[in-house]
Amino acid sequence: MANVLWLQGGACSGNTMSFLNAEEPSACDLVTDFGINLLWHPSLGMEMGDNAKRIFNDLASGKTQLDIFVFEGTVIRGPNGTGRFNMFADRPMQDWVRELAAQANAVVALGDCACWGGIPATEPNPVDNVGLQYLKRNHGGFLGAGFRSKWGLPVINIPGCPAHPDWVTQILVAIASGRAKDLALDDLQRPITFFKSFTQTGCTRVQYFEYKQSTMEFGQGTRTGCLFYELGCRGPLTHSSCNRILWNRQSSKTRAGMPCTGCTEPEFPFHDLKPGTVFKTQKISGTIPKEIPSGTDHVSYMAHAAAARVAAPKWAKEDMFVV
Amino acid sequence: MATAASTQTLPMPKDLRISPLGRVEGDLDLRITLNDGVVSDAWTEASMFRGFEIILRGKDPQAGLIVTPRICGICGGSHLYKAVYALDTAWRTHVPQNATLVRNIAQACETLLSIPRWFYALFAIDLTNKNYAGLAEYDEIVRRFAPFVGTSYEPGVTLSGKPIEVYALFGGQWPHSSFMIPGGVMCAPTLSDVTRAISILDYWQREWLEKQWLGCSVDRWLENKTWADVLAWADENDAQRNSDCGLFLRFAQRAGLDKFGAGCGAYLATGTYFQPELYENPTIEGRNAALINRAAVYDGNAYHDFDHLNVREDTAHSFYRGDKFLHPWHGETDPIDPAEGHKQGKYSWAKSPRYEVPGKGAMPLEVGPLARQVAAGRPDAAAHQDYDPLFLDAIKTAGPSVLVRVMARMHEACKYVKLARRWLDALELHDRFYTKPVEHAEGRGFGSTEAARGSLSDWIVISNGKIENYQVVTPTAWNIGPRDRIGTRGPMEQSFIGSRITDPSDPVEMGHVARSFDSCLVCTVHVYDGKSGRELSQFRVGETG
Repeated sequence: MANVLWLQGGACSGNTMSFLNAEEPSACDLVTDFGINLLWHPSLGMEMGDNAKRIFNDLASGKTQLDIFVFEGTVIRGPNGTGRFNMFADRPMQDWVRELAAQANAVVALGDCACWGGIPATEPNPVDNVGLQYLKRNHGGFLGAGFRSKWGLPVINIPGCPAHPDWVTQILVAIASGRAKDLALDDLQRPITFFKSFTQTGCTRVQYFEYKQSTMEFGQGTRTGCLFYELGCRGPLTHSSCNRILWNRQSSKTRAGMPCTGCTEPEFPFHDLKPGTVFKTQKISGTIPKEIPSGTDHVSYMAHAAAARVAAPKWAKEDMFVV
Repeated sequence: MATAASTQTLPMPKDLRISPLGRVEGDLDLRITLNDGVVSDAWTEASMFRGFEIILRGKDPQAGLIVTPRICGICGGSHLYKAVYALDTAWRTHVPQNATLVRNIAQACETLLSIPRWFYALFAIDLTNKNYAGLAEYDEIVRRFAPFVGTSYEPGVTLSGKPIEVYALFGGQWPHSSFMIPGGVMCAPTLSDVTRAISILDYWQREWLEKQWLGCSVDRWLENKTWADVLAWADENDAQRNSDCGLFLRFAQRAGLDKFGAGCGAYLATGTYFQPELYENPTIEGRNAALINRAAVYDGNAYHDFDHLNVREDTAHSFYRGDKFLHPWHGETDPIDPAEGHKQGKYSWAKSPRYEVPGKGAMPLEVGPLARQVAAGRPDAAAHQDYDPLFLDAIKTAGPSVLVRVMARMHEACKYVKLARRWLDALELHDRFYTKPVEHAEGRGFGSTEAARGSLSDWIVISNGKIENYQVVTPTAWNIGPRDRIGTRGPMEQSFIGSRITDPSDPVEMGHVARSFDSCLVCTVHVYDGKSGRELSQFRVGETG
């Protein structure tokens, strides 16, 4: 049995809602079959009042063993470092987070907000939000770059806005079954099993990408083409498994015609949502994508793109996702 | 501080199980004064602030499509739905009929998810509270509704994920897609998407709604036109009597859930779902007539047409600078330190939305499923609009209560699944789903919908090609907002008053009331003894007076 405490800071509960969509295993399966002892959760916990507070205090003091501390939402530090913009159980939430993280065998940051601040940390970051161990791409965050949990692990980041339920259930099961040290993390502390591949990996539009054929508009326009060239899709630049492990067992944003917004990366929302940046590819001289697929350079990319366009077969210019 | 004498006015609670209430989203503290076991006053205190409206200032006009769904992970699709209409009206777009249908389907499916998930995970588990152990059928309640292991809880929570598989077919994922854009939607579904969507909804309707919840067909349930019909339905046959709904109705009355939690008795629905051919060119003025589920204000006696220009937000008791009473187009979001706010008598991060009812002045109005169903009882609906007298009858004959509010919500599952099926059948797959709009540099827009938990609206002002002001008024603000400038309590504050609390150390009744609104807040209750001022709960959040 692994004791799990799940709290929410500056959160929308979207990661909890996503988690509840899980099947195989479902959220109930985790509790009944997979050895997760969920001590308390803001949406699911039975205990109220002093009984709930006793749970938090016993964990913070070390009286009860805390195996996994799951935190969803930002750590809110404002105003002026007091944390009073987010009070929880008699105290600023940031005080609970500091004490509980120090007692936990493993700490999981669930969703962008907990990993790196997410949408609430968008300029001007009104309430001084920060992620557990990052603020955007800057290492440190609330707990500091040197933080290690009792098992010697940094915060395990499961980003996404929200995170996919399978990412959550599978990492929780791995930690609960003693495999935490088997989890290889990337340089942003994300489990590489889910975040090595790109959002584009498995995208149904990848053949259009191969021949540099663009979707020109939404709606009926998304029956063809790749969303990268005009509509701001970040699929080739974003690390996630959204097109390998489908959403709600059915689809993904890019399959449905929505550009990837890069929500598993620390910069999300990109360009701070400045005018002209939403659902529009940023370009140099009106034609060349400012940001190109990870790992390549503009000269190689342009040479490859020119050749690909010449090589494009007829079908690559036609609708594929037809009635 | 409590004195020795005052501690004798009520026995010192031994098992203090009071707060946080939990099982709502966000952070709310609830302070209550008790007199002889009856709630005589209440203050709702939202205790978390993120500042989304501040983030949106100066940003891309479409930023609200990405940012506002992240206000709430439970009704993010509803945030998207109203955000896109705020832009449609500001940019004067054309929205093809298919796009309206897809938006409607997605919005309905989000609400269909929310109904069982809320009932089993958030609401019904309180019925397993030990306070009810003496009631008949308590063991059956525990067997079905206990968290994680209950025989109805597990399938109820897991099957709740089915309707949003339909959302994912059109929007890619749920929660947090942004697939609705001014002029339409991003997707262009294929035949298999539609067939699959129909099959998923049918499965959900059959396996959860009819077999588990109702014990009868959706059409049989919808024959209920009065509250008396509902009570008779519950005793009509064994299947209905033993369904989750039948058991709940019976047990809820034993537990007294029909006796408290009435609220302010005045209601607002801003309405939702548009008739596709009537809203191809969305305007604020044309909105009411194009709605399928109507907008209306019911002041306790009479209906009034909804006009967004009558909405105000009062900040007299909210942690924002000054004492404002503004229409949201002119709204301000200027937070102050709560420690400073308390000195000014302020006590919540929620603003207090009020509606200027003609001839009556600014009123607090309850929003949510009950408000929607009261609006549905207004006579003279157009042919495309929903007319349904059931819950107007319920509040007139039985009176509003926790039970009536819960049943209004569950009732909607039957109505929305039928609507969603009708819209799926109406899609013309070879027609357009999007008309590229002109992105005007100047404009003002208003978009609104009905999230599962009530009216949800955006007001946007675009200037110089960027957002000059963006104000969101949530159902939670309508329901849990604090007192206004003239001291009138918010709807939820009013609904606690008069409730009898059996065990002050475990005021499960307050949990029922708060959760019957499905407010998006983690509630925290402070119970005060009205005679001594002694705080009975030892678990306080924030500085309260």
